[in-house]
Amino acid sequence: MIKIENLSVAFDGTEVVKNVNLELKDGEILGVVGESGSGKSVTALTLMGLVSETAEVTSGKISFDNIVLREAGKPLDKALYRQYQGAEMSMIFQEPMTSLNPTQRVGKQVEEMLRLHTDFSKEEIRTKVLETFEAVGLRDIEKVYDSYPHQLSGGMRQRVMIAMAIILHPDLVVADEPTTALDVTIQNQIIELLREINTREQNAMLFITHDLNLARRICHRIAVMKDGRVVEQGKTEDIFQNPREEYTRKLIEAVPSRLKRRISAMCKPTQGGAAGFGTEKAADKEAAGEAGNVETAAADDSLVSVLQVRDLSVFYQDGSNSLFSGKKRHCVVEGASFDIYRGESLGLVGESGCGKTSLSKAILGMNSDITGKVVHGSIRPQMIFQDPYSSLNPSKTIGWLLQEPLRAAGKLDKSFAMTKDDMEAAAYDMLHRVGMEDKYFHRKPSQLSGGQRQRISIGQALITKPGLIVADEPVSALDVTIQAQIMELMQKLQQEMGLSYLFISHDINVVYKMCDRIMVMKEGKILEIGETEELFRHPVQEYTKQLLGAS
Amino acid sequence: MKYFIKKIITLIMTLFLVSVAAFLAFQIIPGDVVTTILGTEATPEREEQLREELGLDKPPVVRYFNWAEDVLRGDLGRSYRYSKNMNEMMPVAELIGDKLPVTLWLAAVAVFLIILISVPLGVLWAMSASRSGRAAHFMDAFLGVITQTTMAIPSFFLGILVTYLFGILFKLFVPGRYISYQEDFAGFLGYLLFPALSIALPKIAMTARFLRNSMLTELKSDYVRTAYSKGCTRKRVMYGHVLRNALMPVVTFLGMIIAEIVAGSIVIEQVFGLPGIGRLLISSINTRDFPVVEILILYITFVVILVYFLVDILYRVIDPRISEK
Amino acid sequence: MKKPSGGKWNKYLVAGLFMTGLAVVLGIVGFFWTPYSTTAMSASEKFAAPSLRHIFGTDNFGRDIFSRVMLGLSTTIVIGSLVVLFSASIGILLGALTGYFGGIIDEIVMRITDAVNGFPSILLALVLISILGNGKQNVILALGIVFVPSYVRIVRSEFIRLRDADYIKRARLMGVSRMRILFVHILPNIFSVFWVSVMIGFNNAILAESGMSYLGIGVQPPDASLGKMLSDAQGYLQTAPWYALAPGLTIVWVVLGFSLFSEGIRRTQS
Repeated sequence: MIKIENLSVAFDGTEVVKNVNLELKDGEILGVVGESGSGKSVTALTLMGLVSETAEVTSGKISFDNIVLREAGKPLDKALYRQYQGAEMSMIFQEPMTSLNPTQRVGKQVEEMLRLHTDFSKEEIRTKVLETFEAVGLRDIEKVYDSYPHQLSGGMRQRVMIAMAIILHPDLVVADEPTTALDVTIQNQIIELLREINTREQNAMLFITHDLNLARRICHRIAVMKDGRVVEQGKTEDIFQNPREEYTRKLIEAVPSRLKRRISAMCKPTQGGAAGFGTEKAADKEAAGEAGNVETAAADDSLVSVLQVRDLSVFYQDGSNSLFSGKKRHCVVEGASFDIYRGESLGLVGESGCGKTSLSKAILGMNSDITGKVVHGSIRPQMIFQDPYSSLNPSKTIGWLLQEPLRAAGKLDKSFAMTKDDMEAAAYDMLHRVGMEDKYFHRKPSQLSGGQRQRISIGQALITKPGLIVADEPVSALDVTIQAQIMELMQKLQQEMGLSYLFISHDINVVYKMCDRIMVMKEGKILEIGETEELFRHPVQEYTKQLLGAS
Repeated sequence: MKYFIKKIITLIMTLFLVSVAAFLAFQIIPGDVVTTILGTEATPEREEQLREELGLDKPPVVRYFNWAEDVLRGDLGRSYRYSKNMNEMMPVAELIGDKLPVTLWLAAVAVFLIILISVPLGVLWAMSASRSGRAAHFMDAFLGVITQTTMAIPSFFLGILVTYLFGILFKLFVPGRYISYQEDFAGFLGYLLFPALSIALPKIAMTARFLRNSMLTELKSDYVRTAYSKGCTRKRVMYGHVLRNALMPVVTFLGMIIAEIVAGSIVIEQVFGLPGIGRLLISSINTRDFPVVEILILYITFVVILVYFLVDILYRVIDPRISEK
Repeated sequence: MKKPSGGKWNKYLVAGLFMTGLAVVLGIVGFFWTPYSTTAMSASEKFAAPSLRHIFGTDNFGRDIFSRVMLGLSTTIVIGSLVVLFSASIGILLGALTGYFGGIIDEIVMRITDAVNGFPSILLALVLISILGNGKQNVILALGIVFVPSYVRIVRSEFIRLRDADYIKRARLMGVSRMRILFVHILPNIFSVFWVSVMIGFNNAILAESGMSYLGIGVQPPDASLGKMLSDAQGYLQTAPWYALAPGLTIVWVVLGFSLFSEGIRRTQS
């Protein structure tokens, strides 16, 4: 039995973990849920004896089967810990790629556990490793044994990490966001595997995650952490049914509440006669004919198409730009046809490599190797990126950044040209619209938080008033509570400005909350497209069921 | 395999381009070779005769291919300056022949010293830089100052300092008394030790610093945490996991400074009075003895490119991530 | 040189500024005035050891070494600065264009820079000098050409890195013109990296120049040069070690100062 009593951990005098009490029994999975900076990882690393040397335990103690491993005021007893690490307690990390040594064969890395803690012979070690590989569901185990990490897929790497963690049947397994770096379907498999292992081995498991929903699926009990403290702790269902803390309630709300439907009456997929207007990007001339009848349909606001995609295929050139290497042309998106209507949010979901990004690039005109037809409004669609830290030019001020699209538009088309004063006024107006104060006008991106940057990003995309915004995972780099704020902002702006979104995300919850319709992609093809509620309740395709089944 | 063929083709192409550049560069030089050789008092007939002998009456393209053909056949041409006897100019091949080993050995000893000293030094440095405590902290800062200063010393001044310290003050060798490798190979190597040290010291500082930083970067990697979570000791983490990964960029780095080592040996030969190709090159440049300069440039390019090629292969052998493709 | 904005002072920056500042001041003063004539010989004061009168001592002709070091310093600094100016500005232009646009021109420029980069820089400079002839201007030209590839390489790799940054993708989406993306959107972001490489380049230029004049190639008398002084002094190492130490340590001083300075700048930025 593992006990963390009144634990506080400080870095340079600042406490990041405050009076934490946790208890773990054999066979139990305890979820520790919190946003980044909540102290959940530091707690786990301190428990494992892996926290950096600059960290200081300022109060409390950690004990393992009544033996005190760490106590306030005493330095880390490395020799004592080494007897436990690996053998009695082990850890599964978030990033299986970087958590494995890139230049050592994975078999050897798992072997090291046995070399360190047992005196098995070479053959025994090999047999045991292969056995464990089999137990974690790896196939072709001999080959895996001799592979380097980069030769394996993400899911296989995480299985190897799990094999390493359980090979000595430790009493405690700490899993730190073990599925965050993986695709949804793989996520499910790994979660099932962890649950299975827990039942089989009857060990204690500490499951750390930012995703309350995920914790609900696997944990017996949940502890919610915020700012270094455990704010609420209890049986999983109790927490969900009667959250005592305001914060917990907020976290739970971030999970889909199957309510909201704004334009639910609207739009069946790709109706004929839908209007396209303005600039046309047609690689396929013969299909261009039908985009003629423009303004007529514009009267019916709910059915104005802001984007028409017809039979769009996107190609990708393989090989570097070298003199020698030959090039191969792959088709990454095949025959996509759909519409986006004014005021709607269309969700685009699928696993990494399914062609989501290529499709969105083609829509934005960033990819010229296409066939088929993309028709959009007179102002080019703009884009919001995932990483708020790389989507704003660090050498410019916020004011400059907000005005740059106007300057560019003015240069491209004289009719958009504005005076300096007008541009500045427009930038201030946009700053207010995205919920920020005047004082930020002269600041640089580095002085802003991630959420604030994403607001500026949105403002920059909207300032030229494009009808359509392509949002590529716009909230997945943010904490849950910030996520909710940004989504709220996006919905507010959508209503104010009559915007349409193409919303790309791997996070089903976010898509559910944001989108009116959802489009499912797999291996370059559009598999299914339908209204959100409909798709969740009655998915036609098996794959959709799998993908959505995660939540 | 395809990769190596590509590499070899690039290698040959580079050599070809360098040879064209080297050859043409010396064709556009102001000043007449014939005057250089015969002096200003020669008769026009004699000048004309020599011009024909040297093939200077033909267009540059023809001369290049004649020259390249000769070089490929092993005839490296003849010096404009050095004569073998009264009526024959010195063949470049002979001129270079006994000077090559001096330079090659000098560079080799320098590389040996660099690897021998910088790797343990870099490991020691990284160890102390990643530790807390006053002694470790002091060691880190101390090595920082020492290497920073060493890197700022130009190699020829370092050579003079080494001469002054080890030659004049400690009398470990006699400055200027070169021992020929044909006579006494051990003595030759002993004498080379000091010039090699002068070349190596700044590179040792650079390499050790590079390895330190590389190790510190690796120490922050996730796989280090994984290794600790298995119960590895610090030593095991360092030598079993970190060092190999940290050494990989160092191999590339060493390859990159090979060119600098070659350049360093050219200057250092001058300081220590070593009869290598560096001194020959300097004097040939000063006396405008272009056939010698051309061949030396080609030769040095060849060595440098070859070393890059070997480093590339080595890198592919030790890093499984690259050898895949 | 102004203090980079937003950064904090650190001991590297202070030490570097002090060392380079002193050297630059001495060099500039030395350009106009030296305590003693740099050419006046005096048989009675041959090989005088460092003293209050001649703080670096005198040489084999009885000339004041300190005065000659000042003059040499000014030559060195002028050559170093002009070389950097020449190679860095061409480097920025070529690096920006090849890095951003890529393609066949990039391929050609990279092949050339690879070849030049692989070749020992001092050797290439020597060859260029043997073609161009000796003299201060030719040294600047030769070294300028030799160091262009190192800047091309750095600027190019920075442009390649930033060309696919999200904020540049967005600028393209907005319809910002190519030249504006190159020089308004990307260029300011590479200055931190570029600054450091300019300083390293300055050091390399100084080292190469003094190395060449040590070998007797490049800067010729009556132009004073630290490298030439060293090669003159080498013969008197036994009798007058200060003769060699003075110019040698001066080079070390300048180079160390600049590398500390650049390290300081790097630290304020990271």
